Amino acid sequence: MTPLAQAILNGLMTGALIAAPAVGFTTIFAVLRYPSFAIAAHATLGAFAAWYVNTRLGAGVPLSVAVGFLFAALVGGSLEHAALRGLRGAGALTVSIGSIALNLVLENAVRFSFGNDLRGYDLPLAPDLRFAGLRVGAQQIETLVFAAAIMAAVFIFLRYTRFGRAMRAVADNPDLARLKGVDPERIAVAALMLGAGLAGAGGVLIGLDTSIDPLTGFRVLLSVFAAAVLGGLGSIPGAVVGALALGVAEELALLVLPATYRTGVGFLAILLMLTFRPRGLLGERAV
Amino acid sequence: MSLLAATDVVGGYARDEQILKGASIRVDPGEIVVIIGPNGAGKSTLLKAVAGLVTVQSGAIVFDGADVTRLDAMARARAGLAFVPQERNVFATMSVAENLSISAFLDPRAEAARVAELAGRYPLLTERRHALARTLSGGQRQILAMAMGLMAKPRLMLLDEPTAGLSPRAADELFAAIVDLNRAGLPMLMVEQHAIEALAIAARAYVMVAGKVSAEGPGPALADDPQIRRLFLGG
Ligand SMILES: Nc1ncnc2c1ncn2[C@@H]1O[C@H](COP(=O)(O)OP(=O)(O)OP(=O)(O)O)[C@@H](O)[C@H]1O
Ligand SMILES: [Mg+2]
Repeated sequence: MTPLAQAILNGLMTGALIAAPAVGFTTIFAVLRYPSFAIAAHATLGAFAAWYVNTRLGAGVPLSVAVGFLFAALVGGSLEHAALRGLRGAGALTVSIGSIALNLVLENAVRFSFGNDLRGYDLPLAPDLRFAGLRVGAQQIETLVFAAAIMAAVFIFLRYTRFGRAMRAVADNPDLARLKGVDPERIAVAALMLGAGLAGAGGVLIGLDTSIDPLTGFRVLLSVFAAAVLGGLGSIPGAVVGALALGVAEELALLVLPATYRTGVGFLAILLMLTFRPRGLLGERAV
Repeated sequence: MSLLAATDVVGGYARDEQILKGASIRVDPGEIVVIIGPNGAGKSTLLKAVAGLVTVQSGAIVFDGADVTRLDAMARARAGLAFVPQERNVFATMSVAENLSISAFLDPRAEAARVAELAGRYPLLTERRHALARTLSGGQRQILAMAMGLMAKPRLMLLDEPTAGLSPRAADELFAAIVDLNRAGLPMLMVEQHAIEALAIAARAYVMVAGKVSAEGPGPALADDPQIRRLFLGG
């Protein structure tokens, strides 16, 4: 019983780490209609920006997460807009390939600036917490709280603010949005910034959990993509549910399979979903 | 002076495509003007050209004395044109309340007052406030789409087949709602398949065939014209 419960708990923790980038990925898809693989680089950019303010300037965890979000949004999001806007007319496949190229450029820019070494954040050491035979790190709890807070903020933004609703309107029906006076081009820029920012914040959470290097984002790219597909591409609650479900599925698979098969779970999830339930776990529901 | 005058409009969806081949129509203040015609004649395309969703290659669209031919859809909405498309005319994944709210995007300060006014006119907007638009019945959806157009306090409403797919009863109710709005002072330019009912409420009407206007006249007169009866009204 305990190993099973522990695996589910660990799965929710890993799922929470990829939830923010998965929501970022799905937001960009919902508004711009292409899968952006540059989300990996945005996560890495956020992780390094946060690492810098954390280890060099002594910023605490909340401020570091905020810096990771802002840096990825402003730098990653606007670079993606500037680099790929000219390709958008040529269709989703072209833009998507462009995003892979952008990802390589940004990743190597990070490598050039910081090298390939693993880096860790400066965090106070805290003992693991134990209850009912389960073990969980204090940092993991903090990370989980941040992930939940980020999701709540995104939900409130999309649901209750004028601009957030406009973003959902464009995702739903760009022509009609235009008729109502919402400019899809401005919303596209905002969606890229939000998406990149969420990836950046997620990159920081991943860094808090382990360590960072220029491949931090790339390593979780498949999981992020799988989580978004599981939730139904373009569905924000879907991406959150997809991330948690994938995290749990990966950990449960590790109970019976060697650790090397872990990424296989992501592939399998994509394959099964696209075959049997292409609209995602929650069906068609944007927010 | 006409409220809307579209003169010799040529245009289509691709750069060199001509779906509209020199269509001319006008709407005078206070009128309901109806456009009928066979499938694929370009009726929807003409409304989209007026709304700014289809590029006009030549010809002119003058609204309320100003040439709007080169303005985009957003600027035309701001100028007082509200277009209710034939299909996909509500935000399906958003609630009724959110659909209304986003329709006041250009003038958020007026939102609350207009929602209150429309809710008085159409009770379903309150009753189904939290329902997602895609769960509404066809008739309810059309009312919502019209109400969304009204949120912008338009000076001309463009309606594309508002009764398409509705039951006869729901269609009658919608025609009644349209007449009510018109009596309250709102001019309408409307494309309709239910030609007899539409001509009955029209001040004037146009018959469109192959991208051009082939006949025009007062609604009832067109409805009595034997040739038009034979071609479009089923005898
Ligand atoms: N979005 C579009 N892109 C390209 N071509 C289109 C588009 N919409 C319509 N067309 C073409 O334009 C022509 C006129 O279509 P339009 O929708 O204006 O006709 P309509 O008179 O409204 O017909 P219906 O009574 O069926 O609504 C048709 O040949 C149609 O195939
Ligand atoms: Mg049509």
